[in-house]
Amino acid sequence: MFETDVLLQDLREILGAVPVTLAMALAIFVFSTIIGSLFAFIEYRRVPVLRELVIAYKVAFKGVPMVIVIFLAYFGLPPALQFLLSLVGIDFNAHLTPNWVILVIAITGCIAAFQSEIIKGALNSFDTGQADAAHSLGYTSSQLFRRVMFPQVVVAAIPDLTTSMMVIMKALSLGFAIEVVEIFAQSQLTAALNFYYLEAFVIAVVIYMVIAYIVTQIADRTERALRIRS
Amino acid sequence: MLELKDIKLSYGSAQILNGVNLSVKRGDVVSIIGPSGTGKTTLLKCINYLARPASGTIAFDQIRMDYQRADKAAVQAIRLRTAMVFQQFNVFKNMTVIQNVMDPLVVVQRKSREEAHAIALQELERVGLSDKREHYPSQLSGGQLQRTGIARALAVRPDVILFDEPTSSLDPELVGEVLKVIKDVTSSGITSLLVTHEMQFAKNISNRIVFMDRGVVAADGSPTEIFDTPSSPRLAQFLSSELAFQ
Repeated sequence: MFETDVLLQDLREILGAVPVTLAMALAIFVFSTIIGSLFAFIEYRRVPVLRELVIAYKVAFKGVPMVIVIFLAYFGLPPALQFLLSLVGIDFNAHLTPNWVILVIAITGCIAAFQSEIIKGALNSFDTGQADAAHSLGYTSSQLFRRVMFPQVVVAAIPDLTTSMMVIMKALSLGFAIEVVEIFAQSQLTAALNFYYLEAFVIAVVIYMVIAYIVTQIADRTERALRIRS
Repeated sequence: MLELKDIKLSYGSAQILNGVNLSVKRGDVVSIIGPSGTGKTTLLKCINYLARPASGTIAFDQIRMDYQRADKAAVQAIRLRTAMVFQQFNVFKNMTVIQNVMDPLVVVQRKSREEAHAIALQELERVGLSDKREHYPSQLSGGQLQRTGIARALAVRPDVILFDEPTSSLDPELVGEVLKVIKDVTSSGITSLLVTHEMQFAKNISNRIVFMDRGVVAADGSPTEIFDTPSSPRLAQFLSSELAFQ
């Protein structure tokens, strides 16, 4: 019923997909956090027009299932890119865009909407009294941000940002739909060759759990180290 | 040295300041008293432009500004010569006590770390917090937080120090230690404006009392004039209710 003999071989094969999965997750995490921060600032500072666009973006990307966004990107992005480049006179075959790039873009687009909510919440949790104090002492807005606000906002956002990292890891398994081979897809492929599906997926579960454990530990420690200071 | 003229400010339809005039001489210790919601704090915050009046003018020595045409340079010049102590302390939560005091000196005044450190130590000594200098705000009592706020304000060597209800959010048993420090500061000759509900304290330390009521200055005089011979029924009523409460 459960074949223990294949576990080691399965583990070796599926582990092979871990580096690429982590690399994609990290890239998505960094990009979506940057874009999310930008969105959060637009909302926090109440920038006219841009603010409405950000709100519309968030409604769209939080509401539409990620797998649909991935398919839309898969079918829509290359022709759109090719068209845009042809407008500026560049002849480029965008259909050669690797699928993993499309996957990274699609998930980044979705997660950015969530990151922006997290960062907006952290910004709102900053008490404006400290901003008053800084201004009263002659701090410019950028000095206030650098010296006082940023260090506090980061600490406030760490737990939720970590959760996003795990959401990204799991969202990457949707890459299977457009033939990107990460942890889940690799288990699928491994199982398809030896027909030991249960074993392969158990291995995948264990790997996901180990990654989740490590990420949470890193985040907890970083947060604790920083929180003592605030 | 400081003159505010015809300051008007409203939040939405609520008129907070309704043409306030106030002039302060160098070395004055002015206490601003009055019922809640009459704009005492708001008036104080107009001086360093944390509150933005719709109209009126300010003259701070050579610096002159019309609030209808507020300009950044004048605001910054005034901020560099004043310091404020807040009701909610507003110390920087990501910094230790001594970092709180040093930071404005390093970031705004561009002093060297060594010089800033020396000044900070001196001011912390003055407010009795030398032994807590490496503590973070989360580890301090309200009284200690407020004394940190006072040390931070003193360290920038302001010409005028603005106290905005510095003891109003303290536990009763912590009020004393903060009032003691404020008394020490005001008696050192620095020009001070103090918004407070501590009537006895105001009477003791001030050379002038300003009574604000419904968005205007309703009475202005020496402590004796204000407390012993109140000029209006409103003032007399306010004083008796405040003093009865204490």
